[in-house]
Amino acid sequence: MKIDIRIMGKLTVFFSIVALVAAFSVLPAPAVAENVVKVGNIIPLSGPSASVGQQGKQAREMAVEEINAAGGIKSLGGAKLKMIYADSESKPEKGVAEAERLINTDKVNVLTGCWNSAVTYPTTAVAERYGIPFIVPVSVADKITEQGFKNVFRIAAKDSWWTRDQFAFLKDMEKEFHTPVKTLAFVYENGDWGQGFASQWKILAKKGGYKVVLDEPYPSTATDLSPVVQKIRRARPDVLMLVSNAADAILLTNTLASYKVKLKAVIASGGGHADPSFLKATGKNARYLFDIVEWETDVNKPGAKEANAKFKAKYGYNLAGESVDAYLAMYVLKDALERAGSLDPAKIREALATTHLTSGPGMIVGYDSVEFDKTGQNKNASLIMVQINDIGNGLERITVWPKSARRAGYTPVFPMPH
Amino acid sequence: MEFFLESILNGICMGSIYGLTALGLTVIFGVLKVINFAHGSLIMVSMYVAYWAIIYTGVHPYVALIIVVPVMYFFGYYLQDIVIKPIFKAEKDVREPITVIIVTTGVWYILDNLTLLIFGPQYRGIQNNPLRGKMLDIGNMLISVPKLWGFVTAVITAAAVYWFLQKTRTGRAIRATSLDREAASLMGINQFKIYNIAFGIGTAIVGISAVTLVPFYNIFPSVGVLFDIKGFIIVVLGGLGSIGGAIIGGIIIGLIESIAPMFMTATWAEAIVYGLFLVVLFVKPSGLFGVKYDW
Repeated sequence: MKIDIRIMGKLTVFFSIVALVAAFSVLPAPAVAENVVKVGNIIPLSGPSASVGQQGKQAREMAVEEINAAGGIKSLGGAKLKMIYADSESKPEKGVAEAERLINTDKVNVLTGCWNSAVTYPTTAVAERYGIPFIVPVSVADKITEQGFKNVFRIAAKDSWWTRDQFAFLKDMEKEFHTPVKTLAFVYENGDWGQGFASQWKILAKKGGYKVVLDEPYPSTATDLSPVVQKIRRARPDVLMLVSNAADAILLTNTLASYKVKLKAVIASGGGHADPSFLKATGKNARYLFDIVEWETDVNKPGAKEANAKFKAKYGYNLAGESVDAYLAMYVLKDALERAGSLDPAKIREALATTHLTSGPGMIVGYDSVEFDKTGQNKNASLIMVQINDIGNGLERITVWPKSARRAGYTPVFPMPH
Repeated sequence: MEFFLESILNGICMGSIYGLTALGLTVIFGVLKVINFAHGSLIMVSMYVAYWAIIYTGVHPYVALIIVVPVMYFFGYYLQDIVIKPIFKAEKDVREPITVIIVTTGVWYILDNLTLLIFGPQYRGIQNNPLRGKMLDIGNMLISVPKLWGFVTAVITAAAVYWFLQKTRTGRAIRATSLDREAASLMGINQFKIYNIAFGIGTAIVGISAVTLVPFYNIFPSVGVLFDIKGFIIVVLGGLGSIGGAIIGGIIIGLIESIAPMFMTATWAEAIVYGLFLVVLFVKPSGLFGVKYDW
């Protein structure tokens, strides 16, 4: 009996050890099979751009929840997207450091970010060095996709496309309404932003065969813009193009109305004209004004209304250009991962480069498909044009261009009636 | 030619409104010998007072003067009495107390940010007022009606302030204090009471200028900054402490702003204004209508 007990004891110890070893060898197994795609996101979560950074994070979260709930990445055995966030604080050096950390420590498969062009620019260089694909939803500086990098993919339209689309829109309107436009007036705030737009406009006007009858920068701090408005009145342009901050946008709009300046159209460039209080402070004086923006809640795209309603219910405010691009970026990534069928960065990069996304929950933007050109720029990206009008619900911003995104049943008013 | 005349008229009207915004500054300086850096904020506060008075009562913008002028008078009176006076007393041996200037800068920041906190960054305008967007059509010339009202108001206000300082007992006491505060005190004038009154009057004038602006201008928390830089230029141009100088200085600025853009861009017109400011400082530091002695 004594022996038996001893043997039993030894056996117990032996089996315990076997069990333990088995247990330990089994434990890491689920970790190996833990099916995730690690997505590193470098965005400003504190500092001056924290509020847009936050919106970008929320839009990503919403998309990722949807993708994971729908079964993850099927070609990777239902792999889930795992989001890892890093705060750039809008500082370039912080963005670079965080990219190094995410790649080396967290071993992310793909990176996204960084909202601030100044941060995105050096940070994409880090990703390029390690060969990690980097999706840029919104940084708009042209140079980001002009570095000759292979791993950078930008969703949003670049800076210089704002002016390109303003002229494309004008050409389309002339055709649609059989109203030729011959003369243009450029009136813009005399800062970097206005001067930048104006220099592009001059080139585009020459190409388009328009005559520029007025080229007028003005100080944004002006307390009286009637001298500028009188110049517009005297120059008699067909179309007036504006770049304004908020106070001057309001002042110009009201002064143009009181001097009864007759124009075929006014085309603004966002900024002050897109300020939430612009419509309240100008009222019916702003009627028929066209404004270029990244996105508007009424774009006529399947799923746009629902996505916005869901986002608003979750976070309390509407989707905007930045958040829509971040939302779309996650679906572009999902599409690429499905086609790549691998976590190898080179394979993901190949898949991204051959993206041709035309439908799905992410496609709530104004244009019809996402395709990247050689530089990694989404070549189909375009901005949208809205018209301010009252069609029975008070003054509102109504999407009119591109035509495929135009609000159902709305015909733009062009030229402006007098 | 019509355009030229139109620009001149617009310049005179807008310029006299600038002059009116600067008038309060010049009155306060003339007596207290203090540059009031919170001047722009006082314009901003007055614009909000005028805005709410007009929105709530629905009266003609100029009827709101009945509310705005007394409110701003007491606002200025007590701002001086409670915030600035203690500093003054601490530095009463200095002719131009520097600390008071710093205190007014503090008041500027506090008022601007308080307004931002309470009312938000929105731009407001009074949509339904009988003056908004009204234009006088003479031949081919268009003259803004609210600016014309502003011009008339500016001239009347300047004349009234001048009369008050020359003819009334309080006005004489104010002038006496301005000339020599010690001597005035010896004559039985309560120096600090006069400061309070002068500050109150200056602020009330600011209130009047705000009423001329609200029918056609936007109201927002940093609106004062746009006008106070102009105010300082006008006051230096016209001569610190000179009432007529403030209005004439304003009209000069208004004319430059209105006529110069006919020949160059609006950006250059602004450069001319600042250039003129520098020239005056170099050539005639006491301003066009300034006197070597005070009042």
